[in-house]
Amino acid sequence: MDLQKLKNEDKLILCRKYYLAGFFLLPFLWLVNAIWFFKEAFRKPHYAEQSEIRTYVTRSIIGSAIWLAAIITWVIIFQLNRVSWGATGDLLTFVIPLGEA
Amino acid sequence: MSSHARGTPVIHSPEGSPTERTSLMSNYNIEEATRGGEEPPPRTQAIRNVPETAVVQPSENAANQGSGQRARQAPRSQRSSDEEEESLLYGAKHVIMLFVPVTLCMMVVVATIRSVTYYTDKGVYLIYTPFHDKTDDTGTKLWQTLANAMIMLGGIVVMTIALLLLYKYKCYKFINGWLVVSSVMLLFFFSYIYIEQILRAYNAAMDYITVAIIMWNFGVGGMFCIHWKGPLLLQQAYLIMISALVALMFIKFLPDWTTWAVLAVMVVWDLVAVLCPKGPLRMLVETAQSRNEPIFPALIYSSTMVWLITMADDPENARKQESHVPNSSTGATPNLEDSEDEDDGGFKEHIANGMNRNSQFSNSMDTQIARRAVEALGEMSTVEDPEVQRQYSPSLDAGSSTDPDPIVAKPKKKGKKRKPVPPPNTTPTSDTRDNSTENTESDEERGVKLGLGDFIFYGVLVGKASSNGDWNTTLACFVAILIGLCCTLLLLAIFRKALPALPISLTFGLVFNFATAELVKPFMDKLASEQVYI
Repeated sequence: MDLQKLKNEDKLILCRKYYLAGFFLLPFLWLVNAIWFFKEAFRKPHYAEQSEIRTYVTRSIIGSAIWLAAIITWVIIFQLNRVSWGATGDLLTFVIPLGEA
Repeated sequence: MSSHARGTPVIHSPEGSPTERTSLMSNYNIEEATRGGEEPPPRTQAIRNVPETAVVQPSENAANQGSGQRARQAPRSQRSSDEEEESLLYGAKHVIMLFVPVTLCMMVVVATIRSVTYYTDKGVYLIYTPFHDKTDDTGTKLWQTLANAMIMLGGIVVMTIALLLLYKYKCYKFINGWLVVSSVMLLFFFSYIYIEQILRAYNAAMDYITVAIIMWNFGVGGMFCIHWKGPLLLQQAYLIMISALVALMFIKFLPDWTTWAVLAVMVVWDLVAVLCPKGPLRMLVETAQSRNEPIFPALIYSSTMVWLITMADDPENARKQESHVPNSSTGATPNLEDSEDEDDGGFKEHIANGMNRNSQFSNSMDTQIARRAVEALGEMSTVEDPEVQRQYSPSLDAGSSTDPDPIVAKPKKKGKKRKPVPPPNTTPTSDTRDNSTENTESDEERGVKLGLGDFIFYGVLVGKASSNGDWNTTLACFVAILIGLCCTLLLLAIFRKALPALPISLTFGLVFNFATAELVKPFMDKLASEQVYI
């Protein structure tokens, strides 16, 4: 997919779809959207659809940042408390590390 | 190449359909006008005939015309004189563009094999390989290995033909469904196994919640990029990842010797499927070409990197296409292939954007010219009979997909797309192919393409070599595959049609692997133990 070859309206539609899809627990799509459309939104000379694209890109950036922060926070909490949570911790654990000999 | 003959006539020949010529000319004019004085000194004009001037733009003022002519002439003469060089250069550029992804794919496989024991542990096998190397009797092992390989080959052949038939009878929905299902399986299931094994290998604790989020995002992102629209870079990354996963699965689930036998069999199958007149992959490509549509783009890695590279390629394409033009007017030549829709579409779009780009890339005036010319050509080509196109189309086919992978590397100029067909195997291979949007395709059309099957089997070879734990062997195989790829691309530049990518690379790889493991390694060990340095 080459953005250069898309018409401006199509860019907007694409950007919006990525933005909306991000709400289904898909921060990765927001991240992709933000990076992919960043130039379109902020670097290109003005065109009609740009303001909308800019809105979506900004929101995507904010959304993915929040997600990233949330995931990092959760992982830190989990790693610190896994052992002390006992059975609950084990239940949540995908791979239980082996002890060192 | 008789490029001179072709090149010159294209523009000037009075016989050519008027429309075509007109379009060409107008395009040129535009470019020239735009460019003005920037043009580089004209290269040899010797080749061209007089008529150009007459034909050229009436509207422009004298100065513009002069520059315009020069510009026009330059590219053309270049074309004719340098064509062969160009094709070689072109090949060189694309060799490098393919080296990177192939190397990445092999690195992922090797790194995984070396760090995760899961993929080298035997014990579970694919149902396609009923014999498991359990005896010590060489004779028994031999026939069992061959039987396994033949069963695998049979599966691949059946799947390829099934795909061909489905495509021939236009069951697009079924094919797409098949591709989607297989890519879902790859993206979610195989990557789940992968992440689990990686975490186990590094003994890292991870909670289900995080894993679920990662898997969901990775999988859905992959589906978006592969089957719908996504950044080219990301799509390429996903295709490489998928190929690596499939290669790892083959390494894990095929018995030891069967893997080698399968690789050897693939060499032959790839040759047959792509080069035989009735080879399934070839027929698939031909069918697609006659329909002027891309073959499941998801199955093909295309080297075109964003449009920078595309631009770089454009001039070449244009030139080549132009050179062909004369033929097309004649109706005779294969050039027609170039005219494929996608390509044209791509070019047109480029042209549309051309102005912007031009400003950025003013240096490549040729590019612009070329683009315009190409556009013009594209129009022309559309005009031409489909039959002609069909006649030539066959050349492209190589890329079939099926497993083995043909490389399809074709220089885009030819417009042929070689698309590797997806590997029919039930195996995950099929996943590889997805349908990326056609739009994507148009861009990518112009790059060299490599079937995902090629990536997979390269990965299998290198991974298998590295699973014996010897870096010498691994590196030897790696180098052998890259050399083979170079040779294939060289042949591509010479023959200008779709070629199978596996035969040369895998033959080299197999020879190097066994030679290194059986000869070089003992020799080196001996030298090392005797403290002898050469």
